[in-house]
Amino acid sequence: MVAEGIPEIVYYLGFVTVSTIGLVVVLLLLISPKDPRPTPEKHAAFESGQIAAGRGRTRFIVQYYPYLLMFVVYDVVAMFLFAWAVNLRALGAPGTIPILVFMAVLLTPLAYALRLANKPENW
Amino acid sequence: MAEPFPDPIQMTLAIMTSPLFLKIAIFPGLTSIAIIAALLTWLDRKITARVQLRIGPQYVSPLGGILQSFADLIKLAFKELPLPEKADKFFFVMAPVFGMVLAGGLMGLIPFSHETLISNLEIGLPVFLAFVTLSPTLVLLAGWSANSKYPFIGGLRSLFQQTAYEIPLWLSAIGVVMLAGTFNLEKIVLAQSKGWFIVPQALGALLFLITSVAEQERIPFDLPEAEPEVIMGWQAEYTGFFFLAAQGAGFIKLYAFSALFATLYLGGYLGPGPLPPLFWSLLKTIGIVVAVILLRGTFGRVRIDQLLRAGWTILLGLALVNIVITYFIVVGFPTI
Repeated sequence: MVAEGIPEIVYYLGFVTVSTIGLVVVLLLLISPKDPRPTPEKHAAFESGQIAAGRGRTRFIVQYYPYLLMFVVYDVVAMFLFAWAVNLRALGAPGTIPILVFMAVLLTPLAYALRLANKPENW
Repeated sequence: MAEPFPDPIQMTLAIMTSPLFLKIAIFPGLTSIAIIAALLTWLDRKITARVQLRIGPQYVSPLGGILQSFADLIKLAFKELPLPEKADKFFFVMAPVFGMVLAGGLMGLIPFSHETLISNLEIGLPVFLAFVTLSPTLVLLAGWSANSKYPFIGGLRSLFQQTAYEIPLWLSAIGVVMLAGTFNLEKIVLAQSKGWFIVPQALGALLFLITSVAEQERIPFDLPEAEPEVIMGWQAEYTGFFFLAAQGAGFIKLYAFSALFATLYLGGYLGPGPLPPLFWSLLKTIGIVVAVILLRGTFGRVRIDQLLRAGWTILLGLALVNIVITYFIVVGFPTI
């Protein structure tokens, strides 16, 4: 049965979600103390004791952006391998030829992209 | 409906004593997760202290301070919860809460024994890994919504760290799927009745352990919350319960990943002798937990460029080698 276990996990996730959010609401409204006259520093952004300056969302780290691009592509590729792996015994050795072609086509650009991404002078 | 409406008290009692509700609420569900996460916090502090020739928590309760984390829990619950005024408050509050929900959701898939399994999903392993993949997104959301510098840098680091370990994590788990021929975690356990998968999957198990430590953001891969570098990173603005949720999610993940490692490679709840299956699965889980905690005491933190390079070259390459080895095992010895 493919659908086996789906209601249970949905009930479980629902129960965990409801009880955690319930706990947060109870804590925020009932238990946690309120400061009637908070100083401005209490609600300021934390910067190791300095007064917060400038934008909170600072510059992005862009040196590793090529890795992000590769991740977007090759994370999906891993899923295809799962589909092949689960049927490996049924497919046997002949079923391997398409996946070998698939991997060869996809891993060659990966090797080139990695060579470029690993070069510090391209950052 | 022709039937009369059932008595609400009777119905509530019936639901609350049903096996599914007990599993969801007590074991392996919510209550046991909270207690075990608190005990793991204590174990983590105690073992790390021993490694560093310290004593660790000792005052709360006579038994080596075992109730220390429960005392911390009560302390944190009664703290004021100031929110940064520049923060996007809804997402700022919801990110750690949903991080904890996702981490707790992992436990619904782990077969501790045939009786104490909440959901026997046919696609259990991919669902587990999909839950895991979502959590760095929540970390990034927490860092972005805090609108402060350290959380923002921590969130971005989490994103880059994910790109390094995620694909090796998935690929190292593929070896087990190839051997067992199923995604169902309980069937994977039963497929190991002739021998644990750690023997044909030694390389895969090592890769899975390394990448799962990276996923849990534990030393040596705790870049998103590195204390000396980015002051707890994405958790810097959290206090009280939200800090507890952020930290607790990490320990729940430690527990869940150790249980998954035991399930995939160490035969799960299978074990010799008359001892119950639950004993074996918990024993194996605790063993992996201790090993991961010892890693924390042993290694220094890697740099982010080291992690990215190692993840994309060494870990990914070894994961592909592992798939090739497993392929020849499966095709060469079809009886295993």
